[in-house]
Amino acid sequence: MKNVRVWFKKDDQCRYISHLDLNRVMIRAIQKSRLPVWHTEGFNVHPYITFALPLSLGFRGERESMDMRILDDNLKLDVIKDELNKCLPNGLSVFDVTEPKMKPGAIASAKFKMRLSCDEYSVEELYTKLQEMLNSDEILVDKKTKKGIKKIDIKEYFKDAKHYDTENDVVIRVTLPAGSTTNINPTLLVKAFFEKYSVEPYYDITRVDVFDEKGRAFE
Amino acid sequence: MIKEKLEKILLKVQKPGKYVGGELNAVIKNKDEVDVRFAFCFPDTYEIGMSHLGMKILYSLFNSKPYIWCERVFAPWIDMEEQMIKNEIPLYALESMDPVSEFDFIGFTLQYELSYTNMLNMLKLANVPLKSSDRTELKNIVVAGGPCACNPEPVADFVDIFFIGDGEEVDLEVIELFRECKKSGKTKQEFLLLASQIKGVYVPALYEVLYNEDGTIKSFAPKFENVPEKIEKRVMMDMDNSYYPDNFVVPNVEIVHDRAVEEIFRGCIRGCRFCQAGFLYRPVREKSVDCINEQCHTLCRNTGYDEVSLSSLSSSDYTQIVPLLEKLSSWSVDENVSLSLPSLRVDGFTEDILSKIKSVRKSGLTFAPEAGTQRLRDVINKNVKEDELLDTCKVAFNGGYSTVKLYFMIGLPTETLDDVKGIADLGQKVVSTFYQAENRPKGKGVRVTVSSSSFVPKPFTPFQWEPQDSIDTIHEKQAHIRENLTTKKISYNYHDADTSFMEAVFARGDRKLGEVLLKACEKGMRFDGWSDCFSLENWLEVFSECNIDPHFYANRRREFTEILPWDHIDYSVTKEFLINECKKAYDNQTTPHCREKCSNCGAMKHKGGVCFEKRSSLV
Repeated sequence: MKNVRVWFKKDDQCRYISHLDLNRVMIRAIQKSRLPVWHTEGFNVHPYITFALPLSLGFRGERESMDMRILDDNLKLDVIKDELNKCLPNGLSVFDVTEPKMKPGAIASAKFKMRLSCDEYSVEELYTKLQEMLNSDEILVDKKTKKGIKKIDIKEYFKDAKHYDTENDVVIRVTLPAGSTTNINPTLLVKAFFEKYSVEPYYDITRVDVFDEKGRAFE
Repeated sequence: MIKEKLEKILLKVQKPGKYVGGELNAVIKNKDEVDVRFAFCFPDTYEIGMSHLGMKILYSLFNSKPYIWCERVFAPWIDMEEQMIKNEIPLYALESMDPVSEFDFIGFTLQYELSYTNMLNMLKLANVPLKSSDRTELKNIVVAGGPCACNPEPVADFVDIFFIGDGEEVDLEVIELFRECKKSGKTKQEFLLLASQIKGVYVPALYEVLYNEDGTIKSFAPKFENVPEKIEKRVMMDMDNSYYPDNFVVPNVEIVHDRAVEEIFRGCIRGCRFCQAGFLYRPVREKSVDCINEQCHTLCRNTGYDEVSLSSLSSSDYTQIVPLLEKLSSWSVDENVSLSLPSLRVDGFTEDILSKIKSVRKSGLTFAPEAGTQRLRDVINKNVKEDELLDTCKVAFNGGYSTVKLYFMIGLPTETLDDVKGIADLGQKVVSTFYQAENRPKGKGVRVTVSSSSFVPKPFTPFQWEPQDSIDTIHEKQAHIRENLTTKKISYNYHDADTSFMEAVFARGDRKLGEVLLKACEKGMRFDGWSDCFSLENWLEVFSECNIDPHFYANRRREFTEILPWDHIDYSVTKEFLINECKKAYDNQTTPHCREKCSNCGAMKHKGGVCFEKRSSLV
């Protein structure tokens, strides 16, 4: 038995499914592929899979990963990739299968690409307003936590964000804390913008990559 | 175009995955390479519609023809509907994302009466004229089938063509005819006249109804020569060779019945007098064990589902049920596939069956005694005895089950308060049975759920002439059950009487109700099957504005001699048989099921199925 890490992209129609739905889709793909995946031995038998870091509904993911155990040690990793791809819906595609090097718990941050636009402002206006907000002393926003709603300042998290406007939208690239300890969802910026200007921009967010606490890409 | 607009709104609605398509096994074709585009509309949400077997069968069947591209359309939930209207997004089909108004056919499956408003609302969202007479060109042909098509009259103003009976053949014949008519440049009227010649096709616009002063029907007749007076249903007699999909579209988001479904037979031998399906789908036609086994295996392999449900109106009546379960277990256990058997009858539940279902996964148990006393069960011809139910529960409890759901109906013909009290008593007896079962699960209490729905008299049943109980009477009966339940081990749910009332109105409605539906649609009413949206008050307002009395349809006793709005539709079951069954009901007399004795209902004319099986009493 060996552990494998399945790397996949979540995009197109599948960016609109929740983490729970993703779990179901993957389990069915494994069942359909007939790959020798280890199943739980409990009351409700199912393939045992774990995702490194859940992705919010609506986000695109370029380097998502899922771990599972393969019963056949000699099975080629490429075969797993090809067989799974035959069984996945449009919008989910496996691009690599590797031996896991880090534990999912090692994940400390994630890099996002945000594309923002809105009907109320032109791209230039939106860009100016976003810059104005990012340059202010603090960016206060309500964050939902397990203990209730908390006001937090996200200024610090976005201080290194790179942003530029393109023809149709404003693009922001930002690396935010992610993982088991702290999570900052990039949509907090959208929320802060709404609280300040009463305009809710459309957002199209991609999680580009995830890193450990030393900034090394998760492997 | 629609796709770009959608991206902006999808994150503002619940479960956006329902509105984007792209599922495994969804069929994508090139629209320039097909002759006919068919929008298969389910007039309810994605989660409900995607669970529906009939849609899966016809979707795959249509798409198996290279010249047809069939796509799926569902009713957007109210949050999505609001966004679509605000952003001027018309109703679209999930495969191509093209507007429904571009399709040749717009097909609806009518599963329950309260979805009629959804059908109209979907046409409205598609910007397609609601009334058949306002769609004059040979395009956007609105067709409908399903159980509610047995009384098509309330929606006759909106639908061009109804398919009566099994759809596998007649639908394709009509699509093929359309293809020819389109090529030869025929008009819609010419097409409809030609279509009416096909067996199983009902074109309401070709008939005229006249009414008596009291609102009942005076006459119903074809307007043109050659248009048939009676429309006979279509039946697939050879189930093994009937089309069955080897693949389902597998949804990305969770739906109600998220599993593979295998139809094991059509029809039901029982003849419970309240049950419309039991009469519409006669005669019983089974698939063979080998056919079922192969279809199940293929479906599981192609979809990745780890559960397969054996579907029928009464699964334990399948003649080869134990050999079938044995055959299925030969691979299902190894492949981690669990089997589920819905619609088990109390008297068909054996330890053999129990062990096969249990071998992989255990689900709850549900039984439907339907009535609380033996007398009333005889009236409705639900031939289940109390000791059979209790014995079955005992088997189940000894087999490790500790929850049982019991379904009942209230408002049945001849029902008294004693019969109603019998429901509570039966629940209590099931609780006692648990404590008498020696091998019951230790350390666990028993949970019995008693549910009651309100009886809705339906066309083509022996009770089609019966009045429905008034809403007040239903409320009294519900209270009576609650008062008679003394233990907390039983929980009691009941179905809302208001919705059952509207269901009864439309189930036996006539063409005059078209006006009511139109007005309801104008007022923005839809999702009437959902308590979130249904409002009796709004409906009563619409009825009073149209000057139509809903009680005329729901609460009136009809004479056997009255012309009923659905009398021109022929489901093979004769009116004499239904009248005879109704009279027997009043005398508390039961009728044996088809395998015991033929009761000469009329379905024998199809020359097959259970009517020609060897009966055990004769062997």
